[in-house]
Amino acid sequence: MTTTTSKPSDVLVPVLRRLGIAVLTVVLASLFVFLAVQALPGDVAQQLLGQNATPDAVKQLRESLGLDQNVWLRYLQWLAGAVHGDFGTSLVSGEPVAPTLFTAFRNSMLIAVPAMVVGVTLSLALGVIAGVRRGRASDRVISIVSLVVMSVPEFMVATVLVLLFAIGLPLFPAVVLRGSDATVGELLPTIWLPIIVLTLAMAAYIVRTARSSTIDVMASEFVTTAELKGLTMRRVVWKHAVPSALLPTLNVVALNVAWLLGGVVVVENVFNYPGMGKLMLESVFNRDLPTIEAIALLSALVYVVCNLAADLVALVLDPKLRTRQRRARTRSRTGTRPTRKAAA
Amino acid sequence: MQPIVPEPRNARGPSRRALLTGAAGLAGLGLLTLTGCSSGASAGTTDLPEAAATGTARSGGRLRIARPAASAAETLDSASSLSAYEYLGALYNRLVKLDQQGRTVPDLAEEWSANQDGTEWTFRLRRGVRFHDGSRFSADDAIASIRHILDEKTGSPQAGVLGEVMDARSMTAVDTYTLRFALTKPNAEFPSLLTAYQCYIVPAGAIADIGRTGIGTGPFRLSSFTPAGAGSVEAFDDHFAGRPALDGIDFYSIQDTTARVNALLAGQIDLISQTNLDFATARVVAASDRATIARSKNAQWYTIPMLATSEEFRDPRVRQAMKLAYDPRTIVDTALQGTGSPGWDNPVPPQLAAFVDDHREYDPDKAKALLRAAGRSDLRASIYTSSYESVFTPMAVAYRDAVADAGIRLTVKNASSDSYYTQIWMQKPLMVSYWFTGRPIDQLLNQIFRSGSSYNESAWSNERFDGLLDDARAEMDDAKRLTLYQDAQRLVVEDGADMTPMFGDRLVGLSRDVVNYSEYGFEFDYLRIGLRR
Repeated sequence: MTTTTSKPSDVLVPVLRRLGIAVLTVVLASLFVFLAVQALPGDVAQQLLGQNATPDAVKQLRESLGLDQNVWLRYLQWLAGAVHGDFGTSLVSGEPVAPTLFTAFRNSMLIAVPAMVVGVTLSLALGVIAGVRRGRASDRVISIVSLVVMSVPEFMVATVLVLLFAIGLPLFPAVVLRGSDATVGELLPTIWLPIIVLTLAMAAYIVRTARSSTIDVMASEFVTTAELKGLTMRRVVWKHAVPSALLPTLNVVALNVAWLLGGVVVVENVFNYPGMGKLMLESVFNRDLPTIEAIALLSALVYVVCNLAADLVALVLDPKLRTRQRRARTRSRTGTRPTRKAAA
Repeated sequence: MQPIVPEPRNARGPSRRALLTGAAGLAGLGLLTLTGCSSGASAGTTDLPEAAATGTARSGGRLRIARPAASAAETLDSASSLSAYEYLGALYNRLVKLDQQGRTVPDLAEEWSANQDGTEWTFRLRRGVRFHDGSRFSADDAIASIRHILDEKTGSPQAGVLGEVMDARSMTAVDTYTLRFALTKPNAEFPSLLTAYQCYIVPAGAIADIGRTGIGTGPFRLSSFTPAGAGSVEAFDDHFAGRPALDGIDFYSIQDTTARVNALLAGQIDLISQTNLDFATARVVAASDRATIARSKNAQWYTIPMLATSEEFRDPRVRQAMKLAYDPRTIVDTALQGTGSPGWDNPVPPQLAAFVDDHREYDPDKAKALLRAAGRSDLRASIYTSSYESVFTPMAVAYRDAVADAGIRLTVKNASSDSYYTQIWMQKPLMVSYWFTGRPIDQLLNQIFRSGSSYNESAWSNERFDGLLDDARAEMDDAKRLTLYQDAQRLVVEDGADMTPMFGDRLVGLSRDVVNYSEYGFEFDYLRIGLRR
């Protein structure tokens, strides 16, 4: 069949283009982060010394940290190393960046993954329910609550939760005491409040998007047709409406997931949680370039991967995309392609 | 890296504090209602306690301290500018330390004396003192420790202060327990220079890796330490002044101020170190059932440096007018809500023995006249502040309002806290700043006010003042030397460019279980602090 010849280019070209863009994005992100750090006032030595940054002291510390080298040269060296998987050593602690970053990333995943799983499932379900029962009491409650949660910044939610469940009712610890030394076992009792905060912060957006796209889909012709065909409401909703309704929600989900995996600065800070967000804040404060660059690289990667995943899932979910391909194939057989070539 | 200046680690709190100001405020409101309900008292009117609880501590127990760690570069080497400040007093001793009045008193040295002109100092050292590793303390350890401070490679902030009167060859061990300093210049206040928190004594053989091992003679020995992480110290049974009340101390590093307070309120920690709580938070803590507030009196020395090299403040008459135009008592009332003492532009804290107690007048009319004479009746300037410290902005605003009567129009400008000390300090003509009190008089005046000193934040230069300090150093008669220091203070008040509106009490959050907390200057009583029976 002719499909075998047209298929690879149909799928491979866009995927390869996406991958190329992804690599470019990551490299550009690292360059912009480098430039941004250069634009910040002060260097590692000055930031570490603060009020003690007398000219002599700064000179002495710069020498001992190896900062007397040209910054561009150091950046290029770092980049060359990073390509080979070597993220360099932290200018502040003198420790290799990779293990530190790995621990922080693992810790962030420990709160991000549960928040993601619970948050996405729960909020999609709630969004669809609200959309299907538009205007009813359940919709009003869901909409209003999600609007309220969306309007309250997450550090506020975090603080209120600490107040209620760590100070008022001492069920959970308020902060992580042991910092980056904490093992997974030690972190377990402390992850619950951050997970709740992240779930709430993320859920509200997804609920609202899912609700509005469900409403759109429910009003569309094919749903009406399905209803007129005599299908049960349950079947109409789950079989026909939901997959289409999820499509516009996907990008919101992807962005939220990336936001979660990239480490959530404010939430981690309130709980003194030793994740990526906290590591990022500290390294930016100290102008610790290798660490900042490694974090930027990892975050950019996570964003790219999440968006790529969203696109692929969209491909699977979208009936139009699938049918369009089939239609294109049929058309090519009936001679549409030559016309397109001529136009080009 | 601490307190010769309150520093970056403090800066990081606030940089987040800026981020979370709202959170603290809102949390404050929430807590107020919560605790208000539970205790039946109106938390809003809670007065902040004056003194820490005293009493008999139960024997044993572990104290949990939350500290704002400097950075992952921190070290236990006290000589370094990146030292983990809270550990130092627990692990080490100096030759001499300061009492509350700023007088030099014995620590590892029992007594000391000088020759006629103050160029040769002999210290008799305590006998039978053991380091945590079992070795005996002797004069050689003291020599090695001080050489380590003077060593350029250490980059110690105290190197400049000591280097002015001595070098590595100035010290000799007369015998095991007698140490002699042959100074390059006379200095009648020399022993006080050894009270700095960089001058802790460590074993001569352990200096190379002291940053990790923390071996000293102090009341606690190190059991674990992670830079910018957690660490522990255990009671040292062979400490020369007896065993401490506690069995051990666990140090945790928590960068965010709100998080430190939450940990205290949730009972996860017992004391927040090196943190001056803002008033809203302090009231919440004081009203809670679990925690309370103790004050470290006049621990924060607030300043408003006018850059003496700037076009605006080059004229001494303008500087004089900037002082006469405000009443520091109103600044204490508004910016500190009464928790401190007016400074009247004298940088010497009132508790110090050398303090001269005749303050300047408050006279806005005279200020106006001076400005007219200087041709600056329309003085307009920007005063820089940041969220680096909780009192900065209230102080800048209170000062601006106070000088308005004299026709001085100031605009308050808020700068980023994370680069405040690299971009604004010593660069803008007018800004607010602070130091921790705790310097002995000689170091205070020489380090912050002498011409050309790298910590001279107003770039003020006055030959007569420098001369007074030199005379004082050469004056071996205590009474005469005191007069010279007092003249120097008067000169700072009259002509100086660094205003001192006030000294603030540090509002320290601690558990209601903690007894015998005592801290002044850079002295923390690790020996007596304990937990309630």
